[in-house]
Amino acid sequence: MSQPDSDRSSSESSRRILSALADGDATDGEAVRAFQSWRDDPDARAAWHSYQLIGDVLRSEDLACEPAADEAFLVALRARLAGEPVVLAPQPRAEETAVAAPAVANAGAAARSRARWQGPVAMAAGFLVVIGGLNIVRPFGHGSDTPVASTAGAASVPLMASATAVNNGAVVADFTRPISPPSS
Amino acid sequence: MTMLNPDPDAALVERVKQGDVRAFEMLVVKYQRRIERLIGRMVRDVDLVSDIAQETFIRAYRALPQFRAESAFYTWLYRIAVNTAKKALVDMKRDPVTTLTALQGSDDDDETYRPGMEPTDGETPEALLASKEIAATVNAAIAALSEDLRQAITLREIEGLSYEEISDVMNCPIGTVRSRIFRAREAIAERLRPLLDTREGNRW
Repeated sequence: MSQPDSDRSSSESSRRILSALADGDATDGEAVRAFQSWRDDPDARAAWHSYQLIGDVLRSEDLACEPAADEAFLVALRARLAGEPVVLAPQPRAEETAVAAPAVANAGAAARSRARWQGPVAMAAGFLVVIGGLNIVRPFGHGSDTPVASTAGAASVPLMASATAVNNGAVVADFTRPISPPSS
Repeated sequence: MTMLNPDPDAALVERVKQGDVRAFEMLVVKYQRRIERLIGRMVRDVDLVSDIAQETFIRAYRALPQFRAESAFYTWLYRIAVNTAKKALVDMKRDPVTTLTALQGSDDDDETYRPGMEPTDGETPEALLASKEIAATVNAAIAALSEDLRQAITLREIEGLSYEEISDVMNCPIGTVRSRIFRAREAIAERLRPLLDTREGNRW
């Protein structure tokens, strides 16, 4: 059975965009679609590989090689990349955002505000800020700070210190060591 | 302004910088063969070539937040490949065993994969034959293209011209250039498909 026409035209349109992206000619919106199709569509991945291989072979025949070798290389690299912290570059300057801005749209402000932090540190620091905030607020809400000390237990000291560090803007240096996950 | 970006990889690089590791894979698929060839000219050991290429991409991924687009991405990547290969050669002279172990994966807890431990596909006669067949098929497919399509993809892939420059040379709108290059790629890819689909029938 052949594909339904709608699938086929959508798939062709994805490949058309991948072809343009390969040459740096995709618009911002098209680029976002291309990244999605690489992630979700095996045909798009195969097309991207074919286009790149074709370019290589046209430039030099000794770059022709079995796709199995290319795929094995990528699978191996994927395994290693999985162990790497996610790359998050500092927020681009205004004049550099022309290309980047629409691509970030779905990631939104959260990603941008995270950008200055390494992923795990940011997560742990966020957690600590929340807890630190609770520690500050709760004594007033409950009229006594005894429950805070007993529930937070041993963790309360570094947490309170962390909250202070946030206010001073010295977050990363203070959080790099005492942030082992609380219970997992 | 809709001028062509001078670095064709700019959109991909930006995407990776925003945390999309899968976009980095697209760059890997694009440059892996060229990087391996570059390293292969410096390092004799075929198995090591693949390991050093893996290390190159890992280093590039780690350093990408500092990439400032003062050069094209590929020249930056080539520099990393050359430095990684040089370092591997120096380390090999000093301590061959440790270097080999380090290059072949430092994740001791990950027993499922050892990059580079399996024989490189490029070594076997079957793989060599397959490579020759791929090259011959691409050449035959190019020869079978209409003049317009052949000229468009040749100017792009061999001469390295931008769409805008090709539109000047071919005296046609950029949209036509884009369409011709796509159709040329599709026609060649169609001929390659029987050779490229892996045994499992599902690439990538």
